[in-house]
Amino acid sequence: MTEPSKTDHLNAIPAIHADRVSRIVPLGERQLTILDDVSLTVARGETMAIVGASGSGKTTLLGLLAGLDRPDQGNVAWHGETISALSEEQLAIRRQGAIGFVFQSFQLLPALTALENVMLPLELAGARDAESRASAWLDRVGLGERVEHLPRQLSGGEQQRVAIARAFVADPKIVFADEPTGNLDTDTGAEIVELMFALNREQGTTLVLVTHDIELAARCNRVLRLARGKVVA
Amino acid sequence: MSVVPRLIVRFVRRELRTAEARILVLALAVAVASVGAVAMFSERVKAAFANQANVLLGADVMISGDRPLPESLIAEATARGLRTTLSTRFGSMVAAVRNDAVAPAGDTALSDVKAISGDYPLRGALEKRNAAGERVPFVASVHPGEVFVDERLAARLRVKAGDRIELGKLKPRVAQVFAEEPEVAGSFLSASPKVLMSDADVAASELLGPGSRATYRLQVAGDRAQEFAEAIKPRLGPGQRLETVRELRPEVRSTLERSEQFLGLAASFSVFLAVVAIVLALRRYLKREIDTATLFRTLGAGQRQTFLHFLGQFFVLALIACVLGVLLAFVAQALLAWAVRGLFASTLPPAGWLPLGKAFATGPILLLGFALPPLVALAATPPVRALRRELPAVNGGGVFAVLLGAIAVLAVVLMQSQDLQTGAIFVGGLIALVGLATGFAALLLWAIRRLVRHGRLGKLGGPQSWAYGLANLDRRRLSTALQIACLGLGVTTLIAVGFVRTDLFSAWQKSLPPDAPNRFLINIQPDQIESVRTLLPKTADGKPIALYPMVRGRLVAVNDKAVSPKDYADERAKRLVDREFNLSAAEALPPANKIVAGEYFAATDRGVMSIEDGIAATLGLKLGDRVTFDVAGEALEVRITSLRKVEWDSFRVNFFALLPEPTVAPLPKSYITAFHLPGSDSKTLPTIVNVAPNVLAIDVSEIMGRVRAIVDQVARALEFVFAFTLLAGLLTLYTAVVATQDERRYDTALIRTLGGTRRQIVASLIAEFSALGGAAGLLGVAGAIALTWTLATRILKIDFVASPSVWISGFALATGLTMLAGWLGTRSVLNTPPIQVLRE
Ligand SMILES: Nc1ncnc2c1ncn2[C@@H]1O[C@H](COP(=O)(O)OP(=O)(O)OP(=O)(O)O)[C@@H](O)[C@H]1O
Ligand SMILES: [Mg+2]
Repeated sequence: MTEPSKTDHLNAIPAIHADRVSRIVPLGERQLTILDDVSLTVARGETMAIVGASGSGKTTLLGLLAGLDRPDQGNVAWHGETISALSEEQLAIRRQGAIGFVFQSFQLLPALTALENVMLPLELAGARDAESRASAWLDRVGLGERVEHLPRQLSGGEQQRVAIARAFVADPKIVFADEPTGNLDTDTGAEIVELMFALNREQGTTLVLVTHDIELAARCNRVLRLARGKVVA
Repeated sequence: MSVVPRLIVRFVRRELRTAEARILVLALAVAVASVGAVAMFSERVKAAFANQANVLLGADVMISGDRPLPESLIAEATARGLRTTLSTRFGSMVAAVRNDAVAPAGDTALSDVKAISGDYPLRGALEKRNAAGERVPFVASVHPGEVFVDERLAARLRVKAGDRIELGKLKPRVAQVFAEEPEVAGSFLSASPKVLMSDADVAASELLGPGSRATYRLQVAGDRAQEFAEAIKPRLGPGQRLETVRELRPEVRSTLERSEQFLGLAASFSVFLAVVAIVLALRRYLKREIDTATLFRTLGAGQRQTFLHFLGQFFVLALIACVLGVLLAFVAQALLAWAVRGLFASTLPPAGWLPLGKAFATGPILLLGFALPPLVALAATPPVRALRRELPAVNGGGVFAVLLGAIAVLAVVLMQSQDLQTGAIFVGGLIALVGLATGFAALLLWAIRRLVRHGRLGKLGGPQSWAYGLANLDRRRLSTALQIACLGLGVTTLIAVGFVRTDLFSAWQKSLPPDAPNRFLINIQPDQIESVRTLLPKTADGKPIALYPMVRGRLVAVNDKAVSPKDYADERAKRLVDREFNLSAAEALPPANKIVAGEYFAATDRGVMSIEDGIAATLGLKLGDRVTFDVAGEALEVRITSLRKVEWDSFRVNFFALLPEPTVAPLPKSYITAFHLPGSDSKTLPTIVNVAPNVLAIDVSEIMGRVRAIVDQVARALEFVFAFTLLAGLLTLYTAVVATQDERRYDTALIRTLGGTRRQIVASLIAEFSALGGAAGLLGVAGAIALTWTLATRILKIDFVASPSVWISGFALATGLTMLAGWLGTRSVLNTPPIQVLRE
């Protein structure tokens, strides 16, 4: 089991709490347990890294914590509310503006400009000032000049920065990031990491990220190590 | 969170940057345009036909009444700026006057007298003969104290222009002998020779006493004639009726209806093509939208919100496509009208807004019909797909989707042709074809698996790249099945269009051969049969021309219950009961007749009758009814044992009522015949009338000429419509292949990076496309045969002619085009750096 974190006492109710969650998928005749009995707690404003070998279940765990997928056993709670029991619709409502994502392979909508991609969470929430807020965020991630560009006109690192702007634009309480630097060179990766930690400090955003990058993991408040679906450290 | 219309509009604007959305809009716009253009053009052509047929009325609109028509009608017509002619039509004996004395008996004839005011006729023209004996048109008004008589009466009375005739109390001068008048409305079997007199002379002639029977007519002509007709229709009193050429002349009616059917078919075919285009474009578009939906869901949009958003988005896209399509339709139909400008006497009348409205509705109906089920599925995209894109995308809705699509197509086809049977055939055909395509694709894939998997193709000497190409089809099973179905449907449509245009249409044209009978002889007495027959031309195969007995009888009772005109509400029924029926005999069912109920009587049966089903319906007669006729004072009772459909446009001698010969034999009767005379023959008829003065000779070549002209015009107008449909079809086929290129482009680029040579890739593509095209071609040909057979036998009622050449060329064309389009769509991959394709 994980040790209690250093900042745990600051917030009585944790931002995320997973209680013995398992994920089992059918594999032909057999059942394959891809996540086995994982429990964890992330306090508000805390940063946590999920590390482990490829195929160890990191993305699967992130999906469960983010409420994008449902555990076969166990519960996940956000700010004390058990989300595993909620309907798809209720869950969607909880996500609105409260959760941000940076995905491993799934990023921007190719038909939308950088600005429009960032505006999307705000527009969906019906915000009136979507455009100005989105362009402010693009400025912050250093893409103030590139607002009108389509994703295919941006480099991989630039696209990743747009994705980060999109994840943070609605002032979410928690941001989940699946290998945010995975496709980037070291320098660009470091830049992106700096950006995320800065945002974590400034906004008090809880940050959960999956990474292979040991340096990045070391900068987090906590590190959760997975091996074959189990927590090993 | 709610659905924000602004967001929808914004999204549409953004999406329109993508090729997928543009192709969808374009496909839909082309669909709307072709449906709209064909419908609009057909309506204009139909209106032009109606105008042309109305020449047979001598006017644009004609109102008849048993009593003088009220002044208000005329006032209303003049108020609309229409020209009017009033006429009174009645029968009267006419005699020749020689040396101021009425000629002795024999030089008299029962004539059809028409008293007219003003110029006559309003539409078309009278015809007289010039010195060379050719007919020349003229329009004139008859002055008081004068009459115009037709050639038949002139021959009968032996009078010429300048002579006088006795007409009631008057002895007017024959100012003109005419050959033909355009108004041929009314049964020509009872037509008498014609006299035109001035309206001003009617009172003085004392021909119309209080008890005399006459028909009063108002003929009007002008731009707003139809508007006038619509306006007064509901206000017509008892005994008044709006005459249309359709009701008056069965052969014209069936010609017009047939023309409309053909044009309607063309419109239905364009719906088919629209379906293919939309299904494929939609599929490609929806595939891209899965990503958007996933993102929506992860960002906290509920299922309902996601659904409504996409629904709204589709609606806006459809709207754009429809506006675009309607504009295109307008231009296209104008081009069509321009292309046929020489065909019609006057410019085509403008189309109403209805066809455009219908075309406009086609877009949303088809789009939503096919998009709704996948949209529901789209909205249910699991958000976890954001983490694993390879998760299978949601399915398309299965049976529900097919059903909804079918309903949408039915709705659109019904909107086009307003004929449930045609709609059912098209939708049934569509469903059957999709089923067939699925089965066919499964079979093809099974064969490919067997060939490829076990390496048999290699053993048979086929190159490995072929195996790869074929295996590609197997890997994209669903996509392959859909492509085969859509391509097959497109090919079906193209072949069916070509087939309808050439074979079915010429089958119809042939039903009115150039040597169809164009002269009728009526009132031949039994003792004149031999002498008349010697004067008649022989049939093409050298046989003497048939003469048919004709017995006149008035309908007096049905099932022992006496009937009179008062018993019928319907005007036509009243008139039928009022007049005498022509009863005839035929041992066997005559050609151009078809039994629709009961059985045709045997030659030895007595006291039975076969009746035309339309007239039976008008009079409320059923199979098994006993009907009593008054034949020259004697009662004749017969039982209805069969109902017949008659092809009136065959221009044969046709009768409403047919009896067995033994029943007719003892009755007083005359004979009738029809035969063909070339237009140049102006001697035969006068010779016959000289030998048998009581015989009435009627020339229907005029009507036939008009009907044939209509048929020819339909033929040429259809050429253009079908050429247009064909063009739209080819475009659709091309889009069909191109719309499925993405995966192929990606695969091909990948193979290139892995070191595939150009030759290998080309070979694999050829294998893939020829299998695809061949399958679609086979399916298309099978579908076309089934569809055209059904259309021919069920809707057009025309003999189906197998035409292997059309099928074979259709198959070759389908395969060739698929390969060509596939090649064009994929070729660029070979010339582009693979990385660029992979990044797309
Ligand atoms: N829906 C599924 N069906 C079957 N197997 C699955 C499914 N989802 C995940 N897996 C399997 O579970 C294991 C864990 O997958 P997961 O994507 O969580 O790994 P990961 O730690 O994120 O790996 P990577 O670092 O390569 O991204 C893998 O072996 C994967 O193949
Ligand atoms: Mg992963």
